[in-house]
Amino acid sequence: MIETPLKIGEPVLRWTARAHSIAEIETELARIWSTPDLTSQVDGEPGRHIAARTSVMNLVVVARRPEIAERCAATIQSLTGRHPSRTIVIQSADPDGPSWLDARIEAHCILPRENAPETCAETIHLACGGESGRHLAAIATPLIVHDLPVTVWWPGEPPFTTRAAQDLLAGADRLVVDGSTWTGDGLTRLCDMAGLLETTSLAISDFALVRQSRWREAIASTFDDPDFMPFLRSIRRIAVTYGTHDEGASSGSTNLVKPIYHVGWLASRLGLSVVKPLAPAALHGRGAAGSRTGGAAGSRAVRPPGSRPAAGRGLAATLSDGRADIAVVIRPIVSPMPSGTTLRVELLAERRGSELRADVTAEAETVHMRVWQDGVEVLDRIFRAARRTDTDLLAEAIESGQRDPVAIGSLRSAAALACGGAA
Amino acid sequence: MTADRSKGAVAPPARKRAPAKDPAPVEAPLDQPIPARPAPRPKDAPRTMKDLRLVRRGKRAARAKPVENVLREGLRLERVPDPSILVLFGGTGDLAHRKVVPALYQLWRTNLLPHEFVLLAIGRRAYDDEAFRAEVRASIDQFSRVLPIDEDAWRSFSERICYQNLDFADAAGFDGLVERLDALDAEHGTRGNRLFYLATQPSQFAEIVGHLGRVALDHETHDGGWRRVVIEKPFGHDSDSARRLNREIGRVFRESQVYRIDHYLGKETVRNLLVFRFGNGIFEPLWNRRYVDHVQITVAESIGIESRGAFYEETGASRDVLQNHLLQLVSLIAMEPPARFEADALRDEKVKVLRAISSAPADLAGSVVRGQYGPGWVAATQVPGFRQEPDVDHDSETETFVAARLMIDDWRWSGVPFYVRTGKRLPKRATEIAIQYREVPHRLFKDEGVEPDANLLAIRIQPDEGIMLRFGAKVPGLGLDVRSVTMDFTYGSAFSVDSPDAYETLILDALQGDASLFTRADEVEEAWSIVDPIIDAWAEAPEPDFPNYDAGSWGPAAADDLLAREGRRWRRI
Repeated sequence: MIETPLKIGEPVLRWTARAHSIAEIETELARIWSTPDLTSQVDGEPGRHIAARTSVMNLVVVARRPEIAERCAATIQSLTGRHPSRTIVIQSADPDGPSWLDARIEAHCILPRENAPETCAETIHLACGGESGRHLAAIATPLIVHDLPVTVWWPGEPPFTTRAAQDLLAGADRLVVDGSTWTGDGLTRLCDMAGLLETTSLAISDFALVRQSRWREAIASTFDDPDFMPFLRSIRRIAVTYGTHDEGASSGSTNLVKPIYHVGWLASRLGLSVVKPLAPAALHGRGAAGSRTGGAAGSRAVRPPGSRPAAGRGLAATLSDGRADIAVVIRPIVSPMPSGTTLRVELLAERRGSELRADVTAEAETVHMRVWQDGVEVLDRIFRAARRTDTDLLAEAIESGQRDPVAIGSLRSAAALACGGAA
Repeated sequence: MTADRSKGAVAPPARKRAPAKDPAPVEAPLDQPIPARPAPRPKDAPRTMKDLRLVRRGKRAARAKPVENVLREGLRLERVPDPSILVLFGGTGDLAHRKVVPALYQLWRTNLLPHEFVLLAIGRRAYDDEAFRAEVRASIDQFSRVLPIDEDAWRSFSERICYQNLDFADAAGFDGLVERLDALDAEHGTRGNRLFYLATQPSQFAEIVGHLGRVALDHETHDGGWRRVVIEKPFGHDSDSARRLNREIGRVFRESQVYRIDHYLGKETVRNLLVFRFGNGIFEPLWNRRYVDHVQITVAESIGIESRGAFYEETGASRDVLQNHLLQLVSLIAMEPPARFEADALRDEKVKVLRAISSAPADLAGSVVRGQYGPGWVAATQVPGFRQEPDVDHDSETETFVAARLMIDDWRWSGVPFYVRTGKRLPKRATEIAIQYREVPHRLFKDEGVEPDANLLAIRIQPDEGIMLRFGAKVPGLGLDVRSVTMDFTYGSAFSVDSPDAYETLILDALQGDASLFTRADEVEEAWSIVDPIIDAWAEAPEPDFPNYDAGSWGPAAADDLLAREGRRWRRI
């Protein structure tokens, strides 16, 4: 028992214990809540009884490295007051060595407001080695609180096609990942993840997609305007520019999940099918999207400071709305921004001889939207929308209900673009 | 000080009712409802079966389907409001500076207003745009719920704030307003869409609306823009004045253009009432006379009348809270599920509840209690009595507390009392709805030491918005002791997103044309027809023995007796 004064809204460690088997963990968990005189001191006076355990969900974190595990645990602790959960952080090591298991069980408590009972939740940090570390489901399942939803947060590289991952995800309700951190271009893993939609009832929250909501808000707002809304069904070109550190922009050198999600989202919302999946563009700057979108939509192209065209050609694809083809180009620019960051989204729509071009860029705190109609600038709007932290994104993922049709559609369309097949 | 507490309770005469609703011309007398002006039929709509068949077969052009912005799906808003000008009458007043402008700034800061947006404040003071912006900035610094101020957001917002000096009695001034609005339309691309927000004294509503009509600012079709008017409560002083006001407004604006704000309806927990009731399968079957013993609704305020003595003397708790906030909460709790989640479907159901509230129970003296606070202590501070407040008559008979036992004569609630109370200078600020369930039919554990209380569902509106369910549980041990425990949901703990202020919600809804959370004319009139007889009875009764409760107490003893007579008591909040 650890006695630390509480400040409202700040989680503190109230209990810690160690165990070396699942049975020992269960025993320790029971002990936390059955200790009869578990009190804390406030201003030196005992008597505030810790509230009964509060859990609204199980959160299983699969962290391959200790620093990832610590970072995730810190993020989760900051949500203790909002989403008290039983958290199980699993970190496996030395898969070829002997089997072992070492667990640290903690109870963090938070005082939601003055004169209120403390709200406490448990975190189980599990390190396991050898064969036992390969059986994630066998570790997590016995520790899950019955009847509460199970969210699996899998930072890093989830091996979706392995038996261990599939067993663990079979017992989960939601998977939380960050596709923008995957190695290579990330597209194979993206397609594997999309495959889960067909074989499981998992809801999937990808931070890479959730982070882009500020782009989506900006793009959608363009078509709130009744004058521009008719152009929504007449989009003919979509171009996404992303940053890379690789001057040669060689294949697989930069994560493309975020740029492709933009197109996936548009394709799914507009009901576009994939005619030709993404493939290296024929000519740099004159890909399927052609020079028209490359010309920064009605004005001189403005590149972000410090960026320059990469030598790579980018990727091109073709979508269809059933009446006409829509050209897609995803192209790199050497940029000091994190590799794979979307720098610009451009849309070109043509309707009854009139042309509408939209150009969206984003910075740390803002999104900038510009629209030209027949070469005349008709809209120049700056949205204040800050980038969100992992805590914000995890909170949103946790608060999401069941499967989000927009996320499903975006992922399916992105996978169809990246790997072919029906969206 | 509180000699005869029962004197606060008197028998009002029978409740007045509006006659049956028949279409009536605009010139109809006051006791007839406002004539409805139907929306014009689209010229190209199919009129006959033949038209319809030909359209279906593609032999005649169908009306173009309204285009939806499919990119909006899954985003925060279905759509951002149309480009528009919000014309704020009473722009230099307290309400504008405390609530309306900070709400607009917050909406702007979070990108929920269109880029083509202008706030045109109207007032009598001689400001120019810059001077008014400086005033607004000071108000936002003081009243914004999110501080510090986002300077970039403020800069762009302030560019959209304009001021027009106008005396509401000056007809020529409204001609100037038309020119100013046209100029702003041209400058900012606001397309003739206008939301007129009347944050003025209620006595000026009719005059302003009349002038708006005279200069055709109500007209929705001449330049394609929409026109809406937002009116702040109180909506009249009694049934007659409410009908008169509705009639004056109805001469200019169609009912679909009128948005009457009761800010309680914009509170997150009040909105959640609908979700809670109609989005959950387990509660609705238990939401009726078969399972519910009674309902308690409390709107308690710890503050006094602050600087509003003159206003409150004319208003009192009945007009200030009972007629609007409390009856709105009653109707939301008691209403039947609407067929659709649309403004008029919701409001139809709410009106049915108000109509079903017993108009003249035999013992109204035992059904309504009034009170007035005397000096006392609230939150460790000594406070004066109502009669000692500034601008209050030393012999004032204005009630600062009212409690009532309402009966809803319909299939669902027959025989279930709804106890409502509201008051100033009560021990704490709290608004709560409590659904008290019946006892179990057979007390299986009656021999045990502690009998659990009957189940209770408490919906806290403020503060600590949330929902609490009380049920019995076995006390651990060898015996079979049963104790009441609670399951508690608190909004602030369950969601990381801040709840918007009620004014943000309601202004955004008005800009988007969603009237679900606004009060319709017939709702207002029905609510007055419940309150009027009570006030009439008080006017006929002997002078009340006020003050009859101490500041910092839960009201007069007669309010407790109201429930005690039936073996019940107010919840301790």
